[in-house]
Order: sequence, then C-alpha cells, then structure tokens
Amino acid sequence: MDAVLNSLCCLMALGSSMFLWRTPRSVFKEGGLITLYLVLFMTFSYLTMEGSDATLEYLPLRMLALCICFSVTSIRSHKTRYLVMAQILWLWIEFFGGVSLVYRGLDMPWTRVIAIGSCAAGSVFMNHISREMEFILMVYWIAIWMFF
Amino acid sequence: MYRIPIYIGVVLLLLGATAFGVSLWEGPAAWHTDMRTLWGTPIALFVLWIGLAHAGTLISAIFLALGFPLDRRTSMIAELSTLCSLVVAAMFPLLHLGVIENFYMVIPFLDARGNFANIRSPLVWDFCSIAVYAVVSTIFFVTHLLSEKREPLKKMVRPMSWLLFPLVLWVHTVVSLDFAVTFVREWQGAFFPLYFISGAIYSGLALVIILLMAEHCRVRLLEKLMLALSWVMAAFWLWEFMLKGTFSFEVVFLGAVVPQLLWLRPIRDNSFVIMLVAVSVILSLGLERYILVTPSEYNVGNAFGWVDLGLVVFSLGLFVTLFFVLRVKLRKPLEGDDVVMGELSVQDEEKANPVVGELSNNFHLLRLPLLVGFLVTLLYVLWAVSVVPDPMISLSVANIAPLCLPLLVLVATVTLCAKSFWQVLAPKAKYVLVVLMGVAGMLVGMFWAGGSSAAAPGAVSVQELATPKPAEKIWEARCASCHGRDGLFNEKFVREFYPVPQKLSLERLDSLGMDSLVSVILNGRINMNAYGDRLTEEEARGLVFYMRLLAGEGK
Repeated sequence: MDAVLNSLCCLMALGSSMFLWRTPRSVFKEGGLITLYLVLFMTFSYLTMEGSDATLEYLPLRMLALCICFSVTSIRSHKTRYLVMAQILWLWIEFFGGVSLVYRGLDMPWTRVIAIGSCAAGSVFMNHISREMEFILMVYWIAIWMFF
Repeated sequence: MYRIPIYIGVVLLLLGATAFGVSLWEGPAAWHTDMRTLWGTPIALFVLWIGLAHAGTLISAIFLALGFPLDRRTSMIAELSTLCSLVVAAMFPLLHLGVIENFYMVIPFLDARGNFANIRSPLVWDFCSIAVYAVVSTIFFVTHLLSEKREPLKKMVRPMSWLLFPLVLWVHTVVSLDFAVTFVREWQGAFFPLYFISGAIYSGLALVIILLMAEHCRVRLLEKLMLALSWVMAAFWLWEFMLKGTFSFEVVFLGAVVPQLLWLRPIRDNSFVIMLVAVSVILSLGLERYILVTPSEYNVGNAFGWVDLGLVVFSLGLFVTLFFVLRVKLRKPLEGDDVVMGELSVQDEEKANPVVGELSNNFHLLRLPLLVGFLVTLLYVLWAVSVVPDPMISLSVANIAPLCLPLLVLVATVTLCAKSFWQVLAPKAKYVLVVLMGVAGMLVGMFWAGGSSAAAPGAVSVQELATPKPAEKIWEARCASCHGRDGLFNEKFVREFYPVPQKLSLERLDSLGMDSLVSVILNGRINMNAYGDRLTEEEARGLVFYMRLLAGEGK
C-alpha cells in the first residue's frame, strides 16, 4: 500500500472512532455501529486495493482494530484493561492474518507485530493514562500503521 | 423433567450409531469425498461442534473475567455444554484419521521411534490446542463446580478465567488456520481467524440459549448478543462474497435474516420462537461449515449420503444424551442450594473495587503459574527447534508460535490449581488422583515408545499388481501416497499432513546403498512402515531401482 492509502486508512479509523463508546449506549447500538464500520472499511478496501493483493483480505479487520484502539482512549472506566485488549485484538489480527499469508509466500510483518505487542505489554503496567499519554499512544499506532 | 430429551438423545444416538460404525470400519471411503472434497462431513461436524464448544468458555470464563453479571446456573450449564460439545467434536478427527490407533503421532513430541510430528502443519496445532482446551475446560468446570463450598477453590476461579479467555479464542483461530493455510482457493483468507471466532461464538450462544430454554429460563443479555453477532456475521459473509464471489442464500437467510425477527416485540417475548431462531442460527452455521468443507460445485445436495446424514444424527444424539445425563447427575452441585436463574454471582466486593485492584489480585495469584508456564514453553521451543530430525523441515517462529499459548496455559493452570486441589481433596480422592497420575504417566510412556511399525495382519497382497511394470505399479500402489508419484513429495503434503516423508535424491540414495534401502522397505524405519509381509525382497530391490530412476529424472 502506498503512503496516501495508508493515510486514508488511518484517517478513516480515527474519524470512525469518534463515535464509539462516547455516550452510554445499548449493546445493539455499539454492535450495530461496529458492524457498520466493518462494512464501510470492507467497501473502502475493496474499492481502493487490487484484488490480487492478498493483504486486502484482512485490511478491513486491521482498520477496525485500529479504530477500536483509538476509540478506547475515550473510555472513562477500566481504560487500561480495554486499551490492552484492543491492542491484543489488533495484534491477533496482524499475527494470525500474517501466518495465513506466510503459507502463501508472503513475508510475516514481524516489525509491526513486535511493535504492537510491545506496546500492549507496556500498557498493562499503566495505572493512570493521562491525556498526553493517550495522544502519544495514538501517534505511536499511526506510526506503526504508516511505517511498518 | 429431562427424561424426554434423554430418550430423544438415545434414539438419535442409536440411529446414528450405524453410520458411525460403518465410518469406523471403512474409513474415509464411507462418507462423501471427491477430488476437491478431501475432508467431508466428519470435519464439517468437527468445526461445527468445536464452535459450539465455545459457548461455555465465552459465557462463563470471559464474562467472569470481565466482571459481567451472570448467574451460576447459566455459567455451569454453558460450561457443561462446552465439555459435551468437545467430546462430540473429538470423535470426528479421529474418525477421519482412518488409523485411529496411531492418533498419538499427531502430538509434536519426539518418540522412541524417532517420530516427530510436522509442526508446520496446522493439524498438529489443532490437536494440541483442542487437547489443552479440553483439559483446562474440565479443570475449570470442576473448580467452578466445587468452589461454592470450598474457599481455596473459590479464589482460583477468576484467575483461571483469565487463562481461559485467550485460550478459547486461540483454539478457534487455530481451527481456522487448518483451512486458511491450504492451497484450496475457497479456504484461503487472512480474515478467517476472526471470521471463525465470530461464527463459533454466534453458534455457541445459540446453543446455550436453547439449553436454557430446556430449563424454562431466558437470559436476555445472551439474546441481545446473538442479535448483534448476526450483523457481524452478515458483514463477514458480505466480505467473502466480495472477495471470492461465494454466496449461499440459505446460510444468509437462516443466519442473518431470521434473527432479525427479534426486533419484533411479540416474537421477542415468545420463548418458543426464540428457540426456533436459535435453531435457525445453528442450522445456518452448520450448513456454512458443510459448504466450506465440501467446496465442489455440486455439493450439499448430491454429496449428502446416508452415512453423512447418520453422522449428523449421531453427533446430535451423543450431545443430547451426554448433556442431559450429566445434567441430571450433577443437578445439586450445578444449581447450588438457593440459586435461582437471573441471580447475579458477581461478588459485591468485586463490584466495589476498581479494576486496578481486581487485576492486581488476579495477577498476584497468576504470576508464579505464568512464569512457570513461560519457562516451560521457552524450553519446549528451544528443544523443538533443536531436534527436528529432517533438515527439509525448516521451522520458523510462525510455525511454532501457535503451540506456545496452549502449552503456557496448560502449565499455568496445573500450577495454579495443584496446591488448592490438594488442600480440598479427601484422603481417598488423593489416592485416586495419584493413581490417575500414574496411569497418565504410563500412557505418556506408551505414546513415547510408539506402536509397532509392522503391517496389520491380513494386509492385501500386491502380487496381482506385479505385472508388466511391477516396480512402477507397486510404487504407485504403496509408496506414491506419501512420497509422491515422482518421488518428490509436494508442498501440500508438508503443509497439511504429518509426518513428513523423505524426499528422494540421487545423493541420498547413493549414500544409503541398495541393501540399506531394501532393509528400510522391508523392516520400516522411523515413520516408514514395514512392508516385509507384503513385498518380496526382489520387489523391494525393484523399487530401489525405480527410486533411482525417479531421482535421476527429478534431477
């Protein structure tokens, strides 16, 4: 993927994350919104990437994971727990998606996996997450997406 | 109350037992297979039942770990359904192996004969993950069952749920990799791990809702979750259609359209209709797995013979019988003394405490078991990399990593529970436990020793094949299935099967020599079975000449 497409992915994930977990909503509304985002990311990936590129297969899920990572920074209670879980979800998608593609001849995105894994592991020990730290985390995730 | 379900289960079990027996006797030839359908109904049923087995851990462990309120009886019923579903699921890969007595060869452990399962194959990851899942789920169920009146066990339940949380997701991810890493176009998909997990949780929730209906109870939270997951599944089906063009109206209708009936209040309030919706979800997911496993153009209608149908009936009968018999037997500890449906079991102190304190408490109990688990896993990885007997199997971290979490969780769970269980067990039970551990040790020793490599008595002779080009015919009849028709095993074999056969090269054949190779053919070696009672020495020598010919051509 080129830099423009990567930036667009990050922007879409960031923009979508603004509406998740903002106000107390029912499981229906949050579930519906997540599904809507998933469909949106699928359509975006389908329209912008070549069908022959195997990484297309899990791009919408990666975008959704990034979106959820961004969104959990706005959660008030249990923030550390959900921050760690959101990053593990992203790690999960990257790692097992990568394993599937390794068997089809593609390289495993080890740098990305290690970067997300180390950030998730580090987040476990964050007792208090300030707004500055939230910002740093978001910049770090965008950097992982753009450069690794 | 449970007599009728037990009777229905037994009838279904007896009806399906014939198909199961035929499948056991004849092997994979009994059910439908063709050039594109290698796995067939047993593996479709395996994927379905493994998915259904997720419900227990999802509802009990994950809800408990995250502090969602759920009553004890719902949790216990869900956990029991996990164990019963796992028993049913375990039947089918064994059936599919064809050589059930050699199942232990799938365990990635070097045995006395030099067997070392192909760790690159996701089938090996699958076996290990599911075996660990079964053991840990059983320990969790027993701990949860006994915890009500035993304080040392009570404090173990929540840390254990944190260990089970990733494991349950890991297991179905590994199941999805069975498909995702193959050459079959319909099975390829880097999105499969999350897709399979969603499907498994979706069908598992539907199963628990049905089982709760049998108790004349409903948990609205589960129904809401089922509806929300129907949208997620619809999104995945849409993505599969966009990527591959595959679409099944029946699957989408039963799995994504019918659940939307829950939007209507009159339907939402009717327990019977809710049960029908849950059945529709399970049917949809069952059909989806069947279509996935049998990718032929003309599948489903043409392919489904009486044995396939019988296996479905057998699995259903086995589950219903097993679940309701255990439900009756465990009535008292399962329900507790005064617990009614809807009552919450989340302790008040946990509600009051902030999450940091709660995590710290769990971590305090988990840190030593996790450390032990981590060290054992590290040792295993180092050992596995060092002992791979065949230089042609190049192992990478991506090949071994899927085995790491199950091993870590197994060791951590046993370490966590050992002391507490020892404290609460009665003296007699301690003796039984020691004896059981001894038996388990003996079994491990037997597996390590490995079975005989001699051919089964009454093996078919190949004399009739030894006509115009005997060596070639014998090669194709006896050897080609593993070594390939051209002597160069293909990548498909290395990826999907185990153990890995030798690749023939002229240098290797020269280094071994004629007599040594004849001896290997007749007497067997490592994974190579002995053919001494099926081939004469002359035929074996002819095969060696033919191997040299193939190796020369290959070169």
